[in-house]
Amino acid sequence: MANFFSTRATKGLLKVGDIYCPKNGEFPAFSEAAGTAHLNSLIKNIPSDDFSSLSMVLAIFSFFPQFVLRWITGICTNAQNNPSDGMLPSLLRQLNIGLRGLCYSIYYSELTNPNFKGQTPLQVMGYQLNRITD
Amino acid sequence: MMYDFIVVGSGSGGGSLAYYLNKSGAKVLLIEAGRFYRKDTFPKTEAETSAHLYWGGGIEFAKDGRMGFLRTKMVGGSSIVYQCLMDRFDDIALNDWKQESGVDWFTPEIMSAHYDQVESDIALHTFVPEERNGNGKLFIKGCEKHNYKWDYLRRGQSDCAVDRGNDCIGCLGGCFRDSKQSSLVAFVQKAEKEGLEIIPDTEILKVEPNADSCKIHGYQNGKKVSFEGKKVILSGGAFGTTRMMTLSGFKSKLPTIGKKFSSHPQFMWLGFQNEIVDAHKGSFQTVASKDPNFRKLGFKLENVFASPISIGMLMNEDGIEHQRLMKQYRYMQCIEVAVRDENVGEIMCDNKGKLTVSKPLTDQDKKRRDLGHQAIENILSASGAREIYKSKFYFGLHLMGGCVMGTDASKSVVNPDFQVHGEKNLYIVDSSIYPNAPGINPGLTIKTLGHRLATQLTK
Ligand SMILES: Cc1cc2nc3c(=O)[nH]c(=O)nc-3n(C[C@H](O)[C@H](O)[C@H](O)COP(=O)(O)OP(=O)(O)OC[C@H]3O[C@@H](n4cnc5c(N)ncnc54)[C@H](O)[C@@H]3O)c2cc1C
Repeated sequence: MANFFSTRATKGLLKVGDIYCPKNGEFPAFSEAAGTAHLNSLIKNIPSDDFSSLSMVLAIFSFFPQFVLRWITGICTNAQNNPSDGMLPSLLRQLNIGLRGLCYSIYYSELTNPNFKGQTPLQVMGYQLNRITD
Repeated sequence: MMYDFIVVGSGSGGGSLAYYLNKSGAKVLLIEAGRFYRKDTFPKTEAETSAHLYWGGGIEFAKDGRMGFLRTKMVGGSSIVYQCLMDRFDDIALNDWKQESGVDWFTPEIMSAHYDQVESDIALHTFVPEERNGNGKLFIKGCEKHNYKWDYLRRGQSDCAVDRGNDCIGCLGGCFRDSKQSSLVAFVQKAEKEGLEIIPDTEILKVEPNADSCKIHGYQNGKKVSFEGKKVILSGGAFGTTRMMTLSGFKSKLPTIGKKFSSHPQFMWLGFQNEIVDAHKGSFQTVASKDPNFRKLGFKLENVFASPISIGMLMNEDGIEHQRLMKQYRYMQCIEVAVRDENVGEIMCDNKGKLTVSKPLTDQDKKRRDLGHQAIENILSASGAREIYKSKFYFGLHLMGGCVMGTDASKSVVNPDFQVHGEKNLYIVDSSIYPNAPGINPGLTIKTLGHRLATQLTK
């Protein structure tokens, strides 16, 4: 069955995204700017086992208050410095990259929310890429 | 239908092999698990590139969750996204291969004939001073202050239109101009015009060699398919070929399958300048270290950069601090150390085909990394960086080993003629046969091995 983001999982991602990419000066909040409509096209090649776990985690996140999520993402971030190769730190490291990967893909990219009218994160950074195709 | 040759996997190894086999007039089929993209159909954004072109939908991890691996799934394989730096192996790399494998033709003399042929089929360009961008200039400035030797890189490219404002970093998601010499551009499309049969979207799971031919079985868009060739050559890359060999039940006979995996672990650090650097502009990678001392110590430095999402992934900060760093994207310079690592990694595959990769860094790998980091810090400081970001994330783009070549069937998977030990009609040519890590970009040599095997098979 094709991978698909439920409304719950999307809600969880928006919450966690606001921790990785908050409203800050010129930078918009993740929940304002991120193009969640693109999510389903970005996840179709993730192995379905891995996607189910990620989607379940995000759905659970949607019920947590922001301070709990901040604590959890902090644990994932710190797992990167944990010298242990045990199962839990290894999983947390993968979750850390998985969550960041999803958030940054629809925040630091052209795939932002088309209804968002402010400066996109790429515009704030002054990023521009020229493609000469002829 | 019985083919003379079936090549499974269309990357650096499979693409070149299929091209040279097809040129000889043989009936050749090239099978590829991924889609057939062309210059005008590659994804247009960095996010879609990772999600659509890479196996696993982006990055695959070692089981400790530390090291990420990148490999792509499409006609052209990883050569679609590679930077196309084309280096011949030096005497050190070839001697080390010869020693580890017992294969006597790993010599500069024998290999040079194959290098010559492949190089004549690829458009090659060595960068010149005017092509350096801000990042390149800073790298040179830092190296010269420390007396580190550096040199201009040689890249496979025909016409990048940088003088008309093209930014080549975009071609890390597939070249929109057919300038970068991927396996697709240099070999597959040319062979297609000359009648090579190519079947994309078809993943092979099992190979079944017999006395006169070899059958292969897999799935095409969810439907079971089988093909038969007089000879079958696996070119699925280190992970892909190891997976097919394991699923086909060869592991009991050839216990080395999956072993001796190496990947040139790469660690990128950033320096922040006061002036705009624009490391993503123009020809974004033109120079690298060429210091004989670094070579002896087992690492090299590359003057790399990446698009915003990938740069964001290097930083393990949250929220405001992450944004502070990202806001300075245009002020960043970047250098990576690539370690010539020990081949102690292992690629494992369960009976459902799920891969697990173990890739610990050995003490020697860590020592090489640390020496490289010291040199990076020296260069960044000497070139005027006011802040240095020392990323802890690291990844492997050069996936090597898993079905290594050698003379001894108890320590290798293919013999010096690229034949799976004990099998007359099953061959392997791709990075999986690398006996150990050369410490040099592997792509050109993989293509060269494709040429050698084609010459041998069509004799
Ligand atoms: C971002 C990046 C930058 C790089 N830069 C450079 C560089 O500048 N210079 C350099 O020399 N190298 C570079 N490399 C490394 C280089 O691309 C690889 O080493 C090389 O392409 C490996 O060749 P291969 O034939 O072994 O495998 P690949 O090129 O990966 O090809 C394997 C192909 O087999 C297919 N396949 C796998 N399993 C199956 C199956 N079961 N059925 C059918 N098909 C299958 C895959 O989809 C793939 O298309 C880079 C790699 C990356 C990811």
